[in-house]
Amino acid sequence: MEIVRVNNLKKAYGDNKVLRGIDFKANAGEVIGVIGKNGAGKSTFLEILMTLKPYDSGNVLLFGKELNGLSTNQLEHIRKDISAVLQPTQFYKTLKVVELLKLFKAYYKSPVDIEQIITDFKLQPHRKKYFDKLSGGWKQIVSLAIAFLSEPKMLILDEPTTGLDPHMRNMLWLYITDYNKRTGGTVILTTHNMDEVELYCDKVMLLNDGINEMFDTTEWILSTGYKSINDFYLSKVSI
Amino acid sequence: MLATQLKYDLLMFTREIFYMVFTIIIPPVTYLFMGQLFGDAMYAGNLSYAETYTPSFILLITFGVVFFAFGFDQVMNRTTGVEKRINLTPVSKRTLLVSNIIRSIIITSFGYFLIFFIGMIAYDLSFQPANFIIAFMTFMLFNAALLIISSAIYSLFTSMNGALVFSIVIFQVVMFTGGFTMPIDMMPKFVQVIADFNPVYHMNQLFIAVWNGQFQVDNSSLLSSGFIIGCVVASLGVLRLVNKVRK
Repeated sequence: MEIVRVNNLKKAYGDNKVLRGIDFKANAGEVIGVIGKNGAGKSTFLEILMTLKPYDSGNVLLFGKELNGLSTNQLEHIRKDISAVLQPTQFYKTLKVVELLKLFKAYYKSPVDIEQIITDFKLQPHRKKYFDKLSGGWKQIVSLAIAFLSEPKMLILDEPTTGLDPHMRNMLWLYITDYNKRTGGTVILTTHNMDEVELYCDKVMLLNDGINEMFDTTEWILSTGYKSINDFYLSKVSI
Repeated sequence: MLATQLKYDLLMFTREIFYMVFTIIIPPVTYLFMGQLFGDAMYAGNLSYAETYTPSFILLITFGVVFFAFGFDQVMNRTTGVEKRINLTPVSKRTLLVSNIIRSIIITSFGYFLIFFIGMIAYDLSFQPANFIIAFMTFMLFNAALLIISSAIYSLFTSMNGALVFSIVIFQVVMFTGGFTMPIDMMPKFVQVIADFNPVYHMNQLFIAVWNGQFQVDNSSLLSSGFIIGCVVASLGVLRLVNKVRK
């Protein structure tokens, strides 16, 4: 089942052309890594998919609906099926973890049991801590728990493991892959960690100066002779 | 959904020491302190300290709540990325806005009754139902005007530090040029000039008049009303422009 289809997407901020004709497709259950150097347009691309930013031209079909033609109400409706972990991860700093979960449960009108989420994500020792007082790793875990509350069809992760120690990174990926397998949800993520792309992503899109230079399966890229995705990245992207 | 959002909005306000100090603690303490110093003096319109400064300090609380808890909060949420994360949820903008407005009304009304109560206990302030109702309605109009002005001003900030410095400075400026410390006509000329361009000063003058049943349609009240309306219209223009630019 097709979740996202993007054709010839263009977006500029004034004279700065950030996206110069992106083609992209994501099916249900796929994990897709969007890579590229800083300023390549990754975040803008994801923000358009998240319905947060308008675009200048091209087509973006989310769950079969063209985003540019949707009313505010229709966009709010479509957001029920999208969730995200943004960079940096921030929520209301004076709310406790359990309060944040309750608030977001209300936003999404989610039937998911908060206590189950707290158990699943091992949040019991942190439930009464203010979000602001959590370590970077636990902030990401809470952010992911909030993202899963809505049981989204599409999960967008903007550099989800940046700054995390190997244990927390491992834990985060465990939850992401489990979600992907259990629900068949689509995961689209940006990262600068090429090992993660190689390990966890079905497909890779390389963005370079606003153009997708490559969009194929991780397997295929590796079969073309690159030793690793890191190798592929270094050979394609100059400083 | 609105009830849940409002519950957490109020909870967050009470947990922010910075907001609490500038809105719920400083104005009543200053009101009592000033009363100790000037409680026996008489002011313009043959009004006592309580008759002049009770509406003033109610307005000061409103200013504090609207500028700190509403305006500064907006900048904080925008610059830290909270706003973006909330925008990604299916909750409607209307729900968030209405909750914010109700929160402001609840907190400022609390300030209204708190100052009024202190005035009754400490300065034998009398309760006149008709005046009280008219004053409360005027207070609500000023509340709405301040919400719009604050939204417009804080929409221009892109950093929290800038907004924080501005908030603290503007609080001092409004305290001194809004007529909250001593009558403006006793202040130096330059303060009087600044006061003429301070919408809160005009609100204060009107509110004192309405509170004491002395409101008259004359040049002064028309000028004050016109200036406030002008500020609101300009603020709406700024908000529209900023929203357009952000897209």
